[in-house]
Amino acid sequence: MASGPDTKPTLTPAQIQRHFLLRRLHSLTGLVPIGVFLVVHLVTNSSLAWGRFALRGKGEGLTVAEGGVKYFQHEVTFINESVPHLLLIEITLWVSIAFHSILGVVYATSGKSNLQRYPHQDNWRYTLQRISGYVGILFIFYHVATLRWGWTFLIPEGTKWSHSFSASTLAAAMQGSTEGFTIFGVAVSVLYMVGVTALVFHFANGLWTAAITWGITISAKAQKRWGIACAGLGAGLMLAGWSSLIATMTLDYDEAHLIERQMFIEKYGEAEYEAYVEQKGIETADPQPEQSTGSGGGE
Amino acid sequence: MIASQETASKGQHIRIRIKRSDGPGKPSYWQAFDVPREPGANIISCLQWIAAHPVTVDGEKTTPVVWDSGCLEEVCGACTMLINGGVRQSCSALISDIAPNDGDEITLEPMSKFPVIRDLWVDRQRLFDSLKRVQAWVPIDGSYSLGAGPKESPDKQGTRYTLSTCMSCGCCLEACPQYNLEEDESQWPTSFIGAAAISQARLFNEHETGKQLKRERLDALMGPGGVSDCGNAQNCVKVCPKEIPLTESISAMGRATTIHAITSWFRR
Amino acid sequence: MQQQQRVIVVGGGLAGLAATVRIAEAGIPVDLFSMVPVKRSHSVCAQGGINACNEVARQQGYSEYQHFDETIYGGDYLADQGPVLEMANFAPKVIDLLDRMGVPFNRTNEGQRDLRLFGGSLFKRTHFSGATTGQQLLYALDEQTRRYEASGLVRKYEFWEFLWPIIEGEVDGLDGDGRCVGMVAQDMRTMQIRSFRGASVIMATGGCGLVFGKSTNSIICTGGAASRCYQAGAWYGNGEMIQVHPTAIPGADKCRLMSESARGEGGRVWVPRKKGDDRKPSDIPENERYYFLEEKYPAYGNLVPRDIATREIFDICVNEGMGVKGENQVYLDLTHKDPDYLTRKLGGIMEIYEKFAGDDPRHTPMRIFPAVHYSMGGIWTQYTPGTYTPGTQHGEHKPGMAAPVDAQPGQGMALGAPNNMMTNIPGLYAFGEVNFAYHGATRLGANALLSCIFDGLYCGVSVANYVTQGDPAERPIDSIDQGLYDAAVESEQAKMSRFIDTVDGAEVSDDTNPYLIGKEMGEEMEAACTVVKTEPRLKQCLDKLAELRERFSRARLPDSAAWTNQSLSYSRAVGDMLIMAEMIAKCSLLREESRGSHYRLDFPDRNDERFLKTTVASFNAQSQGAAQHDVSYRDVQTKLVKPRARTYGKVEKQEPAKTETPAKEAASV
Ligand SMILES: Cc1cc2nc3c(=O)[nH]c(=O)nc-3n(C[C@H](O)[C@H](O)[C@H](O)COP(=O)(O)OP(=O)(O)OC[C@H]3O[C@@H](n4cnc5c(N)ncnc54)[C@H](O)[C@@H]3O)c2cc1C
Ligand code: HEM
Ligand code: SF4
Ligand code: SF4
Ligand code: FES
Repeated sequence: MASGPDTKPTLTPAQIQRHFLLRRLHSLTGLVPIGVFLVVHLVTNSSLAWGRFALRGKGEGLTVAEGGVKYFQHEVTFINESVPHLLLIEITLWVSIAFHSILGVVYATSGKSNLQRYPHQDNWRYTLQRISGYVGILFIFYHVATLRWGWTFLIPEGTKWSHSFSASTLAAAMQGSTEGFTIFGVAVSVLYMVGVTALVFHFANGLWTAAITWGITISAKAQKRWGIACAGLGAGLMLAGWSSLIATMTLDYDEAHLIERQMFIEKYGEAEYEAYVEQKGIETADPQPEQSTGSGGGE
Repeated sequence: MIASQETASKGQHIRIRIKRSDGPGKPSYWQAFDVPREPGANIISCLQWIAAHPVTVDGEKTTPVVWDSGCLEEVCGACTMLINGGVRQSCSALISDIAPNDGDEITLEPMSKFPVIRDLWVDRQRLFDSLKRVQAWVPIDGSYSLGAGPKESPDKQGTRYTLSTCMSCGCCLEACPQYNLEEDESQWPTSFIGAAAISQARLFNEHETGKQLKRERLDALMGPGGVSDCGNAQNCVKVCPKEIPLTESISAMGRATTIHAITSWFRR
Repeated sequence: MQQQQRVIVVGGGLAGLAATVRIAEAGIPVDLFSMVPVKRSHSVCAQGGINACNEVARQQGYSEYQHFDETIYGGDYLADQGPVLEMANFAPKVIDLLDRMGVPFNRTNEGQRDLRLFGGSLFKRTHFSGATTGQQLLYALDEQTRRYEASGLVRKYEFWEFLWPIIEGEVDGLDGDGRCVGMVAQDMRTMQIRSFRGASVIMATGGCGLVFGKSTNSIICTGGAASRCYQAGAWYGNGEMIQVHPTAIPGADKCRLMSESARGEGGRVWVPRKKGDDRKPSDIPENERYYFLEEKYPAYGNLVPRDIATREIFDICVNEGMGVKGENQVYLDLTHKDPDYLTRKLGGIMEIYEKFAGDDPRHTPMRIFPAVHYSMGGIWTQYTPGTYTPGTQHGEHKPGMAAPVDAQPGQGMALGAPNNMMTNIPGLYAFGEVNFAYHGATRLGANALLSCIFDGLYCGVSVANYVTQGDPAERPIDSIDQGLYDAAVESEQAKMSRFIDTVDGAEVSDDTNPYLIGKEMGEEMEAACTVVKTEPRLKQCLDKLAELRERFSRARLPDSAAWTNQSLSYSRAVGDMLIMAEMIAKCSLLREESRGSHYRLDFPDRNDERFLKTTVASFNAQSQGAAQHDVSYRDVQTKLVKPRARTYGKVEKQEPAKTETPAKEAASV
């Protein structure tokens, strides 16, 4: 076969630029805003585990869990009520996630994993990056649909999430009921654990590859050093993610609700509270003076 | 050791299982051969033995196995194939290393990312075409005497020399999860170009005169199938027999394309 | 401008690619044929370097002229002197060009091209790129060729095998009216056989190492293409001149070269003084080591030319029985050198040794033995002498002497003369290793790469001139009757069918197995026709070859496939190799003297009176067997330098020296 006259690529400069732009935007969106949001989100959530200690004086007399609830609720309120342009930020985030995910699937399906033949560590991460992407999509979808869009039918025996009763409704969503774990609750919790783990890995590894993509780490040594840094960051985020999950999974609905109730009432008053829980269908828990821990509030 | 091997190998055999195919589009099938162990033997000498004695372990008469080779000292890149599942050169695959004991089995398969011509021989034209894609040459004024080339520090020479030892063997492409078999030639210009050509682009961008085509090369690497299609599995660098720092080249070209994209945006 | 006629280049090694680039640059389209992708041609194996006079050497008294003198002396005066002078004069231009093409030549701290010492010279005049110089040069030319390919001027036919030249008219030595107007080739994948028209055909098909079985050559170096041209009427020159390289690692499929650069960088060859000494080499003290080359040749030491080193090693092992551990091997020792230095300068071959022999040569001396390496002989070519015609021959040229002639082009060989390196068949050229012209009876290390590129560049101009101003300009190739081409294709198809038809299910016996016939030929040729030759052994060899030719006429193919039939290609080449082998053996028998690489035990001295002559073999298809090879002799052009004894300052054998000879580094300037 004569390798005939040259087969010059028939691409226009515009096509070339567009391809490059999309690739770089994919990488960029993974970092900012999605990546940054992920970090903020996980750190915030993990306050359920460490909030008690951040409350300083105000946390006097509270258990670790109670303190966490208090701090967490405080944070959530802040984000929902005081962060400017929240809608704009959310839209940016949605668009970015949609963009990154759609392209991510396109890119992921363009390769064929070959771990059986080349079981190197880097190759494992390449494969896991793709798998974690898929898992991530599913998880993010479920997470957002249930807790943000209020698709309660996806939440077994579902309580709607409320940002005013953030910790308790979250615990209910994950445990499957307001009264502790149900079988569905176990499933949801597992999904959360897998999802968070996948996304943290995806982000940390993405941070490492992004440095190659953009040409920041060129030498093998630099890549290695940056890899260690990313692993460190990943471990930190993993700790944050898992601690918030564990805190949520072990949280008692009533206890949490009561703290949130108190905070709500302090801010808006009793009447508002009654109206609010009524309207949102949030299960309440009465402030029993003592021992009434186990059983839930008024049906 | 030449001597000791000789005594150890008297009367011993190795079994070689080969994935064969009679031509493009023909089904593949496996055949096994028992080959006597010879001192200093490698896969090539075994295939040569099979060519002279084409009888399978079942006593079935068959045709000699077709394969590609050249230098027999791992410098031409021709004899690449999958040996026991991994991609490498068959001339440097010594039997004493990969099948040290009597009766040990070795499997041979053609590379999977290139169209099979026959048996173990594949068509790697796409790899050579990719060198055109990145204009992997120095655009000199012609072959008449015009004095010496640019001076170069030993360090720079060392870097370029290493990149320049790429023998277009295709190992890096075979192992790359982003590089797929593509039989349709018209798709080659937009399919993933692979680590070898990316590294060649770097080689020529580093040369004083070669630099003149830098923009064209970077344009080629920015388009579909260019450097940004790499998924950073880093298999390429691990299988490259010449130990070329391919992932460094990929990152260096990542940086260069980034800068190139920005500067050409401002230049418009 | 009239319609462009195409040029055919067969072979994409250094010679073929250099020619392609030069001719394409002249605007003439080129069809480039190669059995392998050109980037994988055998030239890729060359390790050590490429010679050229340079400024550093010049200021120590070296000159292009001395490079020329060394080459002639090294080749034992068997090369025509004009072309060699031209090549030596042109060499610095070759290096500059390669440098501009981006070859990563090793550099000094200042960034200048570094140099190393090589055999046959006391000056550093060898340019190198690690220990894979040939690879780097080939790639540079490959890249330039690809550039022309991308622009459409060059069309590559890779995995195509040259089968036969197409000749219009009669070939009759130098007198026929025949001219080469194209060729027949076969696609090794589809098995399609077709003809190609070409205003000229350049053979750049390399050497014939496989004729000797295991050599340092690549698996495609069968010499088949050269043999076919020979059978079609092209003369073959100095076939008996086969270089056996002193240092190679024996293997099951080939012998892997340990480049002369290992000695150029300080490597020392030795054996234990005590026969059968079993100790580890590092345990043998200096005074119990026999550095036989250094003792016998104090001036050149380990860097005597190859034929001499080879015979000495052969003598030590085979005649004296002093080989390491009683086997045919000697030490090549670099362990006294800094390992980092070795990696930088010789990385490529260090790796080869490590990979194929298992030891690290930085810490353990390598064990090596001679192996067939290069063919000085090749297709006979002519040239037009240049303007330099000294009244009397020059004597030995000593360093520092003023060169009798400067390095202007055209003094040794007329620049652009259409017949430069043209065979006796007009239009058919031979470039590179397949050309017999430059190396006489022994090639000096690092001169082959030079001769290949020189042929391509310098004589490429000759081809361009032949095509645009010579015969094809008057009688265009396009006007030739298609019948001539069709007949050639048919003839080749018939040959193929004859092979394919032998596949009829009957048992292929060892007797008729082409692979085994090829193997036996290799073993016989290696035993009879390499380091030491004698009349009885050569006669025995001719008998064996006759037997093999007879068996080959009954050979049976193991494969009848009409698609990618490699055994057809190989078997066909075996037939051609047998003819080549017989011619080489016959030429060896008839040259009753010893000269350079050709060493006859029964005629140990050089005999200028009878044999300062080129052996010219021409093929006579009408005869049978060895009588097919008509061997005659032509005078060698020795008008520039007077032949002198070629001793390399050998001191006759004394008692093993008591004081140790210092390492030869002292001589390196
Ligand atoms: C191991 C080794 C090391 C060496 N080191 C050095 C060194 O350091 N310095 C030095 O100066 N020299 C060295 N030499 C010698 C030198 O490498 C060769 O002489 C030189 O490369 C020959 O080049 P070439 O262009 O003539 O042919 P090759 O490079 O052999 O190319 C031959 C070409 O012809 C093609 N061909 C052959 N037959 C056919 C056919 N029938 N049809 C179509 N195409 C065909 C092949 O495909 C190939 O492309 C070395 C040689 C060996 C073996
Ligand atoms: C929390 C959400 C996510 C974050 C923080 C995130 C972050 C990142 C980052 C930083 C990168 C590295 C980019 C680079 O190498 O330059 C990346 C790559 C990638 N992401 Fe995501 N991502 C997220 C979700 C997703 C989802 C939902 C998918 C869908 C499948 C996905 C698929 C991919 C793929 C395939 C890559 C590799 C692209 C390549 O190397 O070519 N990601 N991601
Ligand atoms: S790093 Fe890129 S080129 Fe190399 S194997 Fe991975 S995906 Fe392929
Ligand atoms: S980069 Fe390495 S693996 Fe890839 S083709 Fe070149 S030599 Fe082979
Ligand atoms: S034959 Fe050249 S690399 Fe193996």
